[in-house]
Amino acid sequence: MGITDNFDPETWVDRYGNYLYCYALSRIQDSPIAEDLVQETFLAALQSWKQFEGRSSQKTWLTGILKHKIMDHFRKKIREGTADRSSSIENLDEFFDEKGQWKQVPAKWTANPHNLYEQHEFMKVLQNCLSELPGRLSIIFTLREMMGESTQKICKILDISATNCGVMLYRARIYLRRCLEINWISGNTFEDSR
Amino acid sequence: MKHWMFSCKEVTQMVSESMDRDLPRYQRIGIWIHLMMCKSCSRYRQQLMSLRRVLRSEGLHDEDSEPCAKLPPDARERIKRSLHRNDLEIETTKDL
Repeated sequence: MGITDNFDPETWVDRYGNYLYCYALSRIQDSPIAEDLVQETFLAALQSWKQFEGRSSQKTWLTGILKHKIMDHFRKKIREGTADRSSSIENLDEFFDEKGQWKQVPAKWTANPHNLYEQHEFMKVLQNCLSELPGRLSIIFTLREMMGESTQKICKILDISATNCGVMLYRARIYLRRCLEINWISGNTFEDSR
Repeated sequence: MKHWMFSCKEVTQMVSESMDRDLPRYQRIGIWIHLMMCKSCSRYRQQLMSLRRVLRSEGLHDEDSEPCAKLPPDARERIKRSLHRNDLEIETTKDL
């Protein structure tokens, strides 16, 4: 009975608590809700422990449960209208002139989020940028770029057409890119010594 | 005016779309030509792609990389208590 031997919920919080909390917080930018979702994840895991067949690691299994909790949270926000519907981002005039050329060209990114020592700072800026986006744009970006959900699924969650979905993803990307550039990259700019 | 040439505004939109679905051939070619000549748009594309790679990477939330906040101690205790309570409930119902 190898599986039941591993059944040790008491240690879950210490082993996976930080990871799951970080995972949730970076996707919803709200610490009390992130805490609740982590708690719900562990409780759901406790209830459905029998279904865990050990095909994946406990961590992967728990993350899977948390992912569902996060998506339910998004669905609820959309349904209740707490994710503001009217996006302040109506057109892209601030990015492009009438000829469709960049008003301010994208700068070279000198900081690299792949470097672990920069990730802490990067995640902080990313979260600020995500919470500055209109709610629905933030949700759509998170679902697509962080959680890797299919656009079909995302359209369904947000209850919008594929075209609208594409437009929202575009806006989310172009705004987030610029926000990161302003707040993270330029804040960390260092000249290439060569 | 070369009508087959896309503007930066059009290209950035199509690049975004290409991250979600396959584009028709003429658009792919149009993007490719534009990116060859336009440093800004090709930077935009590279940055969006590398952002996706980082955000989807597994290691982003690992504790030893310390990428973001730790579960606060009070929440930790609260969750442990609730787990313990529910664990006991499950144990008792098993015995019944």
